[in-house]
Amino acid sequence: MDPATIGLVAFALMLFLLALRVPIAFALIGVATAAAFAIFAFRTGTFLPERAFRATSSLVFSNSFDLVHSFDLSMIPLFVALGNIAYRAGITTAVYNSARVWLMQLRGGVAMASVIGCGGFSAITGSSIACASTMGKICTPEMLRLGYDPRLATSSVAAGGTLGSLIPPSVLFIIYAIFTETSVNKLFLAGVLPGLLTLLGFIIVIWLWILVNPKVAPEAAQPASASEKLRAAIEAWPAILIFLIIVVGIYGGFFTATAAAAVSVVITTGIGFLQRRLSVLDMWYAIRDTCVQTTAIFIVAAGAKIFVAAIALTGMAPALVQAVTDAQFSPVMVLVCVCAVYLLLGMFLDPIGIMVLTLPLVIPLVESYGMDLIWFGVVVVKLLEIGLITPPVGLNVFVLSNVVGRAAPVGLVFAGIWRFLCADVIVLALIVSFPMISLFLSQAVQ
Amino acid sequence: MLDRLEKIFVDVAVLAIILLALLIFADVVALNAFQSSVPDTVIIVRELMVVAIIMPLAAATTRRAHISVEFASKFLPVRIVNWLIVFGSVFGALALMPLVWSAARELMHQISTGSEFYGDLGLPQWPGRLAFLIGLGLCFVRLFVMIIVDSIVAYRGGKNLTGSH
Repeated sequence: MDPATIGLVAFALMLFLLALRVPIAFALIGVATAAAFAIFAFRTGTFLPERAFRATSSLVFSNSFDLVHSFDLSMIPLFVALGNIAYRAGITTAVYNSARVWLMQLRGGVAMASVIGCGGFSAITGSSIACASTMGKICTPEMLRLGYDPRLATSSVAAGGTLGSLIPPSVLFIIYAIFTETSVNKLFLAGVLPGLLTLLGFIIVIWLWILVNPKVAPEAAQPASASEKLRAAIEAWPAILIFLIIVVGIYGGFFTATAAAAVSVVITTGIGFLQRRLSVLDMWYAIRDTCVQTTAIFIVAAGAKIFVAAIALTGMAPALVQAVTDAQFSPVMVLVCVCAVYLLLGMFLDPIGIMVLTLPLVIPLVESYGMDLIWFGVVVVKLLEIGLITPPVGLNVFVLSNVVGRAAPVGLVFAGIWRFLCADVIVLALIVSFPMISLFLSQAVQ
Repeated sequence: MLDRLEKIFVDVAVLAIILLALLIFADVVALNAFQSSVPDTVIIVRELMVVAIIMPLAAATTRRAHISVEFASKFLPVRIVNWLIVFGSVFGALALMPLVWSAARELMHQISTGSEFYGDLGLPQWPGRLAFLIGLGLCFVRLFVMIIVDSIVAYRGGKNLTGSH
């Protein structure tokens, strides 16, 4: 059996196991181990299993252990912990409250404030799902209480949650950086403008929605006084400080992204203790949640690392590049196909799973066309964000429905989400058409 | 017993995250304020990462926090979904076996050779490998227990617990 056939069988088996709801991490580890074993055993043309044991064992261990045994990747648990601690310390709620007070004189102001709150939370955590889950607990119940249409109250937060992956720090950018060996710092900067553009798009969607159908939002409240606005803005200072520590720390050359994560965790915890909003037990529980969340991310990434190593042995990626080159596809056609594949996969799989399954094949292809990997990273993350809210498996929608409870059945959230999907598609088209939107900041800083 | 062990492992992981955050923070302060650094920070953080990430693996498995695709199985009857969950655990246990074996082999090698990291403190290489093996080993045991418990539930026609994804 030749390596390319083994590779194809491995991919087919992977998809079959995923359909059977085998956890992605276990499917990756199991299939990759078997594929690597088969390739090593068939290396001489005849099946010699005794030769394969040592090589497979070494491949499986080194790829998984080296991934976990990493200094740079310690930023993933630290950024996830930062989000969890900030939530328990009330810092996240303060951002939302501040936006709410400033926008309360607008009809739909609380919905807009929720999206801005999501953007603020995204700036201190790296996970879309954590963002939707946390903000869903804070914003949606309040909007429902104020008399917002449940479709608007739920879909705005589910869509706003996707900002968690685009606005730095972002776990997806970190994982993309590992698999493509690109700079995390550049990716973080590249995500800022597309993230803000998405946020603006969502606010416009809410504004248009209310303009067309004013009944979806209650009458505007009395505007807050200048002192109330000032007080609300001041209350949000810890979130601004944390974001500044991350951005100024990294791009001012004071420390690396990993160090920024650690410094912001320590300072956020310190602020929480000083403000008496965080107890030691709260901190402990926040980090306990972090442990389980990051373990689930890392075991998938470790499985993917083994899978990537096994696929590299099959030579499938160069074969795919050659096939596409022979077919003389234009770069635009390749990009359209890649976007279509990601959008399709996004309907069924979770972002990390899609990333780790596709990048080993897609990146050599994209590189062969001379496309910028930083810009492509932003495009991929944007596509994965869209996948988080597309039916039938929009993870953010399910998470929101889960945290809000009976008031937000999945069907109801999906009924409102298509408007935000339209905004997402427009932003995606802009990012794809004008790479400078992504690259401007990183080039300016350079 | 297994539950208690998992809880302890998670708490050890929590401690590891706190330690690595403090260590990196101290290193940044030392570097910027005193132009010096905490010795072997990178090595210690890497070792702590293994503890932080792998030790809670069994607890994550118990909470069914592993990411899986439930789209296709949503259309299937509960009885079949129950057996698919059991199959997922069986496959997980089988997939982990070579990893556990190679981790044990690597640990034995490190202990027998007494390898140390290249750094100021000459730290041994085996603790991280040991944490890796223990974390994976406990996850393997947990999967084995889940196979038995979930099989009984499936056989009796009950409904197995599922994760949040």
